[in-house]
Amino acid sequence: MSGKASLLVVAGFSMLFLIISQNFGSVSNRAVDNLVEYQTETIAHNIAVSGANLAANQVYFDNTWNAGYSDIPFQGGKLNVTMVEIDPYQDLHEVTSTGTYNGYTSTVKVKMAPSKFSKFAYFSIYEGGSIWWTKNDTVWGPFHTQDYIRCYRHPVFYGKTTTKRRLKYYTSKSKDKPRLYGGFEKGVNLPLPANGLDKAKLAAQDDGLYFNGADTVYITMDRDSIKYRYSYNSPDTALHLSSVAPNGVIFANNSVVRLKGVVSGQYSIACSGAGSNGRIYLDDDIVFDKDPRIDPTSIDLLGIISENEVLITDNPPNHSDINIHAAIYAGKGGFGSENYSSRPVSGNINLLGGITQHTRRAVGTFNSGGIASGFSKRYKYDERLMLASPPYFPGTGNYEIVSWFE
Amino acid sequence: MGFSTLLDIMGSILIGGILLTTTWRLSDAATEKTYNGSGELSLQQNLVATAQILENDFRKIGFCENWNKIPDPTKAILSADLSSLKFLTDVDSDGDVDSITYYLGPTSELYMTPNPRDRMLYRVVNNEAPGGSNLGVTQFFMIYYDALGDTIPLPITITGEITSIEINVTVENVAAYDTSYSSAYWKQIRMVARNLKNR
Repeated sequence: MSGKASLLVVAGFSMLFLIISQNFGSVSNRAVDNLVEYQTETIAHNIAVSGANLAANQVYFDNTWNAGYSDIPFQGGKLNVTMVEIDPYQDLHEVTSTGTYNGYTSTVKVKMAPSKFSKFAYFSIYEGGSIWWTKNDTVWGPFHTQDYIRCYRHPVFYGKTTTKRRLKYYTSKSKDKPRLYGGFEKGVNLPLPANGLDKAKLAAQDDGLYFNGADTVYITMDRDSIKYRYSYNSPDTALHLSSVAPNGVIFANNSVVRLKGVVSGQYSIACSGAGSNGRIYLDDDIVFDKDPRIDPTSIDLLGIISENEVLITDNPPNHSDINIHAAIYAGKGGFGSENYSSRPVSGNINLLGGITQHTRRAVGTFNSGGIASGFSKRYKYDERLMLASPPYFPGTGNYEIVSWFE
Repeated sequence: MGFSTLLDIMGSILIGGILLTTTWRLSDAATEKTYNGSGELSLQQNLVATAQILENDFRKIGFCENWNKIPDPTKAILSADLSSLKFLTDVDSDGDVDSITYYLGPTSELYMTPNPRDRMLYRVVNNEAPGGSNLGVTQFFMIYYDALGDTIPLPITITGEITSIEINVTVENVAAYDTSYSSAYWKQIRMVARNLKNR
């Protein structure tokens, strides 16, 4: 009798211990499962991000790449990438990268759009050897150079700042470190194309205004009209731009352009040529009819595109300030002022837009007393250029990431 | 009734007493273990849930389905402080720009929970009324880094300088057996919102 009772007691206690230990085990397992699940999701996500990066890299080297990846083994999981055109008009593409790991799936979607030089507040290939960005310099908007960014006493860069090379400090990082308020990347290779004006030329020949065989074309923009002549003393010919250049492109082939006026609408004025040709001189103010800083509804845009230089003419109208509203492109030269070291003190360059140039040029000289000759710089970025571009403004030939969803 | 019977009864009482004490102590220990074990489990589930929500939102800083609406994503962070962050994003990918604000409430707000350190971690979308559930967060703070990887000192006046964020979260049980609270810690060393680097 007592033997049976003992058996029952032992069996009862064993059952009790079993239930309790099963409960403890279950709690421990669920805690581990919880963390394993998080880890699995993280790995699936990392695979998807890696796929998107691999695809972006492929597009960088070959902008026609659309092969994608199918079931690529990666980090113990699988990688699938597709690349599709989602907007033919804007040439917008989307990369969809899917990472799968232990039954979990994560997706990353990346939108890419063609990149144009007009988006840069400042772009250069060559920074002129010994020109430093100083504490008095502030750049608003995207910045890129293929050269070093030479920094002296904390210059300020408000937009995304990139360089092919690296930062250079005048004395040390602590004394000269730039204020980078829009991010920074080095090792970004973005050369100027050798044929940057080709699309504008074809567009002008097709449905724009094309000047050929003139040594110099004097152009005065008169809102939605253009006045032009071929010599200083000859009378102007006036044309309505909507009828002679519906696509907004005005191109002077193998010539020099002398430009001024007021722009209403969206236009690009381009000039090609070798040697002393392919230059655009700014003879006076060239401004928007509606300044977007005053009237945010303004759609006025201007591209000043030269194969060589864009120069501010050394003439009386430009001896007391010049106002420029444009995205400037100087493919083989730079943007500067004519006779910068011998011209009189000329006030300010009030630029609203951006500058893309091969070589950084001087616009004046200064000494301990201030400006000794030429101009002071007052450059303001036209933020609309982040999205809009003057017609047929040179493109980088690459796509840029405009949206990243993960 | 002889001497042996008396001995049997005394032995039974002794063994029965030992078994009773064991059962009683077992019950107490099992209760404590169960309480702590369940607490640990819910703690870790809370931590993972918090981490997933934070990662999901922070990765989308500067994202909008209609990218033209945030043309310059470097301006997507509106304000940043030690325990609060406000930024632009597109919460439901509908192409409209939303704002999300994260901030930590005071400990006094959760006076009804036994844990004196837990706080509400608020996630406010646009102008909604602040709300949420108590996940036992006792610590939530961020360290911000600039483009060169250097720490940005607080207060941050120009938020465009932020390129990556270190996120620290500590979660504790909201209640514990004998006030011995368990805690778990999650740290994202460098959270880089990819859209901040666009363009």
